[in-house]
Amino acid sequence: MEKNRLSEFLIEKSLVITAIFSIIIILLIVLFILMEGFPAFEDYGFFRFLFGMNWAPSDGEFGVFAMIIGSIYVTLLSLIMAVPLSLLCAIFMAEVAPNSIRRILKPVIETLSGIPSVVYGFFGLIVLVPIIRTNFGGTGFSMFTAALILTVMVLPTIITISQDSLRAVPHEYREASFGLGATNWQTIRHVIFPAALPGIITSIILGMGRAIGETLAAIMIAGNVVQIPGSIFDPVRTLTANIALEMGYATGLHYNALFGTAIVLFLIIIILLLIANYIQHKYKVDVGGGYL
Amino acid sequence: MMNRIEVENLNVYFGDSHILKDINTEISKNTVTALIGPSGCGKSTFIRTINRMNDLIPSFSRTGNVYLDGEDVYDPKMDVVDLRKKVGMVFQKPNPFPKSIYENVAYGLKIHGITDDDAISARVEESLRSAALWDEVEDKLDNSAMGLSGGQQQRLCIARTIANNPEVILMDEPCSALDPISTTKVEDLIHKLKKDYTILIVTHNMQQATRVSKYTSFFLNGEIIESNLTDKLFVDPKDSKTEDYITGRFG
Amino acid sequence: MNSEFKGIIVIAICIILAYLFINPGASYERIDVVGSTSVQPLVEKLAENFTSSHEDIRIYVQGGGSGMGIRSTKQGLANIGMSSKELSSTEKKNLTEITIGKEGIVIAVSNQNNIKDLSIEQIKNIFNGKITNWKEVGGNDKEIHVITREEGSGTRSAFESIVMDDTKIKDSAIVQSSTESVKQSVASDPGAIGFVSFAHMNDDVKPISVDGVSPSEKTITNEEYVLQRPFIFLIKGEPSKFAKEFLSWIKSPAGTEIIKKEKIIPVK
Repeated sequence: MEKNRLSEFLIEKSLVITAIFSIIIILLIVLFILMEGFPAFEDYGFFRFLFGMNWAPSDGEFGVFAMIIGSIYVTLLSLIMAVPLSLLCAIFMAEVAPNSIRRILKPVIETLSGIPSVVYGFFGLIVLVPIIRTNFGGTGFSMFTAALILTVMVLPTIITISQDSLRAVPHEYREASFGLGATNWQTIRHVIFPAALPGIITSIILGMGRAIGETLAAIMIAGNVVQIPGSIFDPVRTLTANIALEMGYATGLHYNALFGTAIVLFLIIIILLLIANYIQHKYKVDVGGGYL
Repeated sequence: MMNRIEVENLNVYFGDSHILKDINTEISKNTVTALIGPSGCGKSTFIRTINRMNDLIPSFSRTGNVYLDGEDVYDPKMDVVDLRKKVGMVFQKPNPFPKSIYENVAYGLKIHGITDDDAISARVEESLRSAALWDEVEDKLDNSAMGLSGGQQQRLCIARTIANNPEVILMDEPCSALDPISTTKVEDLIHKLKKDYTILIVTHNMQQATRVSKYTSFFLNGEIIESNLTDKLFVDPKDSKTEDYITGRFG
Repeated sequence: MNSEFKGIIVIAICIILAYLFINPGASYERIDVVGSTSVQPLVEKLAENFTSSHEDIRIYVQGGGSGMGIRSTKQGLANIGMSSKELSSTEKKNLTEITIGKEGIVIAVSNQNNIKDLSIEQIKNIFNGKITNWKEVGGNDKEIHVITREEGSGTRSAFESIVMDDTKIKDSAIVQSSTESVKQSVASDPGAIGFVSFAHMNDDVKPISVDGVSPSEKTITNEEYVLQRPFIFLIKGEPSKFAKEFLSWIKSPAGTEIIKKEKIIPVK
């Protein structure tokens, strides 16, 4: 019927347009950042920018190395704490918990992911910082404090998606495993978890993205001191905090340098994503598993 | 001949549904018994009751007893893990793990604590040979099992079950998803295996039942209508319902 | 019938939303004020009072720091900029400055700190890192934790120019991004010290007297308390008619009343 064919055509074309539109918008943003940030690399020198230890705009020094370390350390530390915790929770919810408990836990955890970061930051400032200071010395503002809050922020993401991956594993595998005389835990460990791994890795990537891009909580509790931390209880400044603290009033080369910081952040995220995707792909190809 | 499996007054319920009604039967050692009957009359449920796979379904309950070598399968002291090691199962749809061919067959051994790599390799090869799959896969054991054809996958599942050294093998319509050539291979396999294993095979295919089994039980609406030597049941059925089924009047 | 009904409801909602958001003929004037977080609460109060008697004007006040205020005004993004420090010669180019008051910078410590007074020299050396323990200035044996603002902060610039001479605030000082969060950080740490705007002071933290002079409206007015800086409005070019109204209202008795109430010293 002509009417059907016309509406098919229209729907298809409008979907294409929407998709292209979103891609264009992202490209424009990337282009803008590149354009504004490049002068910093040109005038100041890319490697001098990347590896410089001093960030002192009033003296014309724009080295971001200490902040690269700050961002990476805080993200890694929070992942180290968040991943085991969330995976255990996901396994509990997907495999062990009775339906009644799962029905309550799932929406609670999903709500956690909706809490705005400023609330977490404020909580960290008022509650966590004094606790860290009393128990571990120093000012309480530190890489560890920030990583703790980031862990809490990242937990819901990893838990929900991992849990969905685990539940998506086909029931046939469980039957085969039980049929061979495996226990519940053996089945989870040897069959279900590996089969769900690509989806789980995706969830970790998303969590990592949230952690490294977190700005507000980092500003409020990481201390914002430009230094390479000697211990996890030393304050640090993340790349995101650097941009947010100074963007309001920067002019000239300083302004370009902040966009340069954004480019560096981009690059780090892309590298981390490439690594994670490679791991996921290799796993899929080797074993032919995965459903997400 | 000793009775491997004895079933006494077995009734199985899923919630309020009464699926199996007053089942009484005996299975002899090292024989092949075919379970035939129309769809949905409890054949699969029956064999799943023997290795307690129905325990996985929350609404399952039963009365009556199942004995394996004289021991009550549903005794609280019975170790389910041990039971399932003794009573292996091959499912209707081939379900190899998303692992390599080698790891699939080795799975049962590893979860039961065998760590000697040489012993495992030997057993894997032995099982694959028994399942008539070795020649086709010996040079690609590390490839993913998912790359095999349907027939090969099912033989892999059989190899996986055999590797575990069971004494009884339960087969739930193992050939229904396979093409004729693969089906023949699997049936040849059953002939080979029957010397050493007690086999129960659920099948829709009556010709298959006549080809492979020594005994046949006919299930209808959750009851065993008739059990006899296969030759006798198909040639001279005692119950009229049996006769109607095997002559194709229904089912 | 069901989906037709839903369709009508959706269209109705769209129309209502469109009306609410794209309201034509909505006649009010808009003034955007951006800048110092120290000046912000004062301007918010002034705006509240002003607009209650001037129904056709809306005033939107944002923070971001003095630096941001200066830049936003220069770029034309704000009608009025707020600064809590004197502008440098480059900064004041093309901008008109209107001082609306002067305010004190309070050196704050936690309520559990027993120090009551410090000299400017001591404050300088604490902030530049020469003095690292409270016992060096007569207090308990406790590490001093210095809390400062970000570089674009007007409060920080004012503090630096009055106190620090040619030394710099130490690199390891903790940086917070508003005067309020500095106060919160100091309040919860017995070893902390930081500078907070006078108008933001409350019982959460304890003010230190400087060279014997306590910060108060009196000591700021008669300039006995030296840690003070002007609250400045910045305008680029000619202010709009409504901005002019606002500015003259601020200088009127009604406006002055509010400035005083916020603990800021009005200036002619």
